[in-house]
Amino acid sequence: MESIILLLLSGGVPYFALIERNKMLNAEKTLLLTAALLSLALVWAHLFSVKVSCYATTVALGSALWAVYRANKTTNFYRLGYYIVFVNAPLFVLFSEHALLYGVSLLLSLSGLYLVARFYDRKYGSANYLAIGGITLSTPYIGIFITIYLISIALYPPFPNAIAFLLNTLQGSLDQFEYFVAGTVFFANFYLAMKALQNALFGHSNPHIHYIDLSMKEKLIHLVLVMAMLSVSLFGLKEILA
Amino acid sequence: MENFILCIPGIPIVIALLLIFINKKEFIPKVSLTLSALIAVLALFGSYLVIRHDLSITGFGGLVIYNELSAILVPYVAILGLVIRKYASKYMWDEAGYKRFFVLLNFIFAAIYLLVMSNHLIVLAIAWQLMSIGLYLLVSFNVGSKTAVKNAKWTMYIHKGADFVFMLAVILLYKEFGSFDLSTLSQTWLKMASDPVSNPTIVMIGFLFLAAAMMKSAIVPFHIWLPYTSEAPTPVSALMHAGVVNVGGILLNKLAFLLLLTPVVLNVAFAIGLFTAIFASILMLAVPDIKRSLGYSTVGQMGYMIMEVGLGAFSLAIYHLIVHGIFKATLFLESGGLIHYARRDPNIPERVSYKLFWESNTEYKSSNTYYLIALFTVVPLLIFAGVKMFLSEEFFEFNAAIVILAFGWLTGTQLFLSFFKVSKADSIKVIVALVTTFLLIILTYEFIGLTLEHFIYGEHALLFYQAATLNVTFAMAVIILIVILVVGWLFMYKQHFSETDKSVTVPDRARWAFYRTVAHEGFVFGLLNRLRKGKK
Repeated sequence: MESIILLLLSGGVPYFALIERNKMLNAEKTLLLTAALLSLALVWAHLFSVKVSCYATTVALGSALWAVYRANKTTNFYRLGYYIVFVNAPLFVLFSEHALLYGVSLLLSLSGLYLVARFYDRKYGSANYLAIGGITLSTPYIGIFITIYLISIALYPPFPNAIAFLLNTLQGSLDQFEYFVAGTVFFANFYLAMKALQNALFGHSNPHIHYIDLSMKEKLIHLVLVMAMLSVSLFGLKEILA
Repeated sequence: MENFILCIPGIPIVIALLLIFINKKEFIPKVSLTLSALIAVLALFGSYLVIRHDLSITGFGGLVIYNELSAILVPYVAILGLVIRKYASKYMWDEAGYKRFFVLLNFIFAAIYLLVMSNHLIVLAIAWQLMSIGLYLLVSFNVGSKTAVKNAKWTMYIHKGADFVFMLAVILLYKEFGSFDLSTLSQTWLKMASDPVSNPTIVMIGFLFLAAAMMKSAIVPFHIWLPYTSEAPTPVSALMHAGVVNVGGILLNKLAFLLLLTPVVLNVAFAIGLFTAIFASILMLAVPDIKRSLGYSTVGQMGYMIMEVGLGAFSLAIYHLIVHGIFKATLFLESGGLIHYARRDPNIPERVSYKLFWESNTEYKSSNTYYLIALFTVVPLLIFAGVKMFLSEEFFEFNAAIVILAFGWLTGTQLFLSFFKVSKADSIKVIVALVTTFLLIILTYEFIGLTLEHFIYGEHALLFYQAATLNVTFAMAVIILIVILVVGWLFMYKQHFSETDKSVTVPDRARWAFYRTVAHEGFVFGLLNRLRKGKK
């Protein structure tokens, strides 16, 4: 029962069943709601030691694969954000001991992605990154932060998602099927993040767009977020080395 | 002071962070070069300490180490880094993203130093993955080019595969041995090697590490990322061919004592390395694009390196990767200068080699040349082998001899084929140059191979040859070598010196199929394109 609640909170099932079909919320609000549900799930998993059933893992994997399919089609940072949560849902079901660390890491990366999406929304009128491509040269600072958040989601160290993933796979007692699920999510995260990275960062600058980079205040906010991510990484690393 | 040497991996990160805050373009290379010179000095000092006092410097809770392997590799990487940064300071001046380039370059160097100096599997895993992402961002540096970005994507996919396989191996290894500390693990493996037991998990771990090394070192069938990434800036190409592809060999050396327990992994490494060396060398000669040709040349050399590991000649692989790295980096970094000269001078720039071999036209197609070169190549080799046998009993156990001799022969042949097209091929100068180079290669390999082996692995060096069950006896090695030499020289004689009937021009079907395979680079890219079109 607990694992099903966990799945409903962190997985894509409620979204695909209710929100998407009825178009109840826009992408920004859906991302915020998903993040809130994920936080609830983390608290839930932390309070109750959730016993994972193979059934819940399979459903989570199915939902994750469907989310990968949907995320592959989106070029919107908000949508990408909540699809990433759904893709990672199987890991919250699988990782028992250090799921909180992985969840916090993911939430931090998603917060960054949310800030980027909001920046795009305000400056360019939409969180769609495809038409704004080529920002590496035009607006390098936002380019750096997008790279950091997406690399983190793609499970590359030294960012906390990778460290937490490693910690959980090392210290958890996963069976072969669960390793397969973890491996699938590992590659799914990588694929989606790298695709977004390639489309958002690279290519020629669009001459019809007036590019605007981050202001000093925005840079500081992002910097604090990155520092927080690195702090979580250090904590995770200490756990592994211990 | 000693512990300061262990900060080497952190210095490039400090440089990168400093560069972010520097706005004046002139200061970017100055800061980068000054601090990387400091790394080189520290590295040389560290090597001095290791050699002089015969000690390993460990620190940060045993996470990093400056041992014999680091003492050889860190100065190499540091000096390479210095040269590449110096070259890039002018080469990249007019490129958009000058600062970004230096920041990324320093990050990837930090990852390489960390990888070489790591004494802990988690640190190694982090460095391993940092290299992947650093490489991706450098290969796609030319962000406006669709092909550069596409090739960077392929590079990234293969490297992510390597990361995944590596992490899987680390997890299995931890579950099996309960430690991440490489020094402790090496001692455990060494003890186990004296009383080997067949354990499928250990074999699996060995295979996973081999696969990870193969992916990063562009070994067939994971080679596709290397020949097509030459669109990256020249300093990045130099770094890729001289530094990044070598990490497979470095990893296998770090885990050498684990591979003592898995002879089957060594045998597979030998077979795959051999195939890669031959396949890539043929493709190198066949592809019409000079950059791809260089890429395949590196793939072939990496095949050679893995082959040496498969034979138990771990230290020779280290020597090979350093020598190849210097050679290939020089080629890439020299290319800009050559283009510069060629633009000023419509003829080939006059260098010493040009003056020596190209000036006058003389007839060269005579069988006397062939006999002379064959004689002067084979006889000194046999004399050398004989003297070595007489002086050192160890030579019988030094099974890498076959590799050294075959490499000498192959390199000699390559040199011969290169000079054969030269107008002065009949000249005694060419023959002397050939024979001298050939002997120099043999002697250097023999001398440095053994020296490195004693330095890095000491008394345990011979264990690797015992573990490599493809271990050939000296007599077998000589027989194989003589067969290779005779067949090779006969082929060359038939190809270039005997009168052939030019009227028969239609090749048979087997030859034609071979040619098609080589011309299409083994059909790998055709297959990938077909798969992509099928998807669409």
